[in-house]
Amino acid sequence: MRPEACAAAGEALQVETDARALTPDATVRQGEMEGALHVVGEVGYRAASVRAVLEYSGAHRRQFYEHFDSLEDCFAQAYEAWIEQLGVSLLEAAVGAVGWRESVQAGIVRLFEFVVERPTIARALFLEVQVAGGAALAKHEEATERLGAALDSVRGEIAADEQPPEATAFFVVGGIEAAICDVLAEGNPNRIWDALPELMHLTVGSYLGNEAAEQAFEEAKGR
Amino acid sequence: MTRLQLVDSEPRDDGPFSAGTPLPRRLPPGRHGIPANLVTEHQRLRLIAAMGEMLAEHGYAGVTTTHVSERAGVSTSTFYKHFGNLWDCVLAAYVATADRLCERIEAACAAAEPPLSGLAVGIEAGLAFVAAEPAAAQLICAPAPLEATAIAAARRLLIARLAGMLRRSRGGEAGEAPSGLDERLIDASLAFICARVGAGEVERLAELGPELTALLDRPRRAAA
Repeated sequence: MRPEACAAAGEALQVETDARALTPDATVRQGEMEGALHVVGEVGYRAASVRAVLEYSGAHRRQFYEHFDSLEDCFAQAYEAWIEQLGVSLLEAAVGAVGWRESVQAGIVRLFEFVVERPTIARALFLEVQVAGGAALAKHEEATERLGAALDSVRGEIAADEQPPEATAFFVVGGIEAAICDVLAEGNPNRIWDALPELMHLTVGSYLGNEAAEQAFEEAKGR
Repeated sequence: MTRLQLVDSEPRDDGPFSAGTPLPRRLPPGRHGIPANLVTEHQRLRLIAAMGEMLAEHGYAGVTTTHVSERAGVSTSTFYKHFGNLWDCVLAAYVATADRLCERIEAACAAAEPPLSGLAVGIEAGLAFVAAEPAAAQLICAPAPLEATAIAAARRLLIARLAGMLRRSRGGEAGEAPSGLDERLIDASLAFICARVGAGEVERLAELGPELTALLDRPRRAAA
């Protein structure tokens, strides 16, 4: 992982999450945004309503429409804030580990912890964003690209004639996200831990080949 | 059993229906001699085809039974004679598309000459299918929404089928890789294809065959 990218991301997280710096109005706005993600993750994007968001957040309808044009707008803004924070959190976890393989595992573990601790929000971020489309899906693609760029940092350690295909990062991130979507759709987020060794094999093997993949697999199994 | 097919042609006016003839998307008006059970099945097939098209046009967020019924040329009450709700129809469309994809890949692999890798042939056939039917392919590649729980199960079945094909394509060279790795590789491949279709790169799909083949092969390959 690139340390400078992680440091910058870490500063951004601090700004976003420092609750003491928020005005009462901003606190209400944040509650509405979390409410939008929670409701979408609970009942699905198609069935979500402003009324449900207000019930969750305790805000008034007038306040909601002072902050957002619509539920779609609220979801898109909430999505952007949360996916940014999650991305920063993953990079922070990764930069705390020594070596690329260890960084990858630390990032994936942090991601899985989030999925298990906040499954409803995770359903909104990973599953329902495909239903929502639009601005939220564009933010999803940006976040995917950033994580992919972090994975690609290992290319510098691979010989020129052994470079993996250009789309490797995208392929790997897609595989990890599909595993998350699967357990969320099944309603059993804890099962994501079963996938960790295979996903480590997929990720490490896609860049470094079978031998490193098997090592990563065994390490993840022993975690 | 007669297997109905829809073809993109105008209604025939040259005589009565005969069994085994592909039916046009729009049945001829008036007396056409087509048995009632085939008319019903024809409606169902039109609804399934329309679902893929309308999902591509409106997305999961906007698609309705009215959109699908109108595209299929039936009333919404006819829609509900065939499907309990929107998601039942999505599931039928999903299963039908997944079956067509698997049949296409299996047929291509069975017809391949020995010097060609089964993996490369299968990928080429899969990508050709996606290029020909991008709307349907987007349906099976993208994750299903929360409300569509049965589709998530159908997706797992498709992943298992494709992973089985991937294993067979390697013959006896499967090695000692983890048992679920092939399922993860298929998951990643579908996400890869879904993104390419979503980015409007349908025309370029055929060129991605060698790259996708390398991506599927690399985690099992020894480093130099």
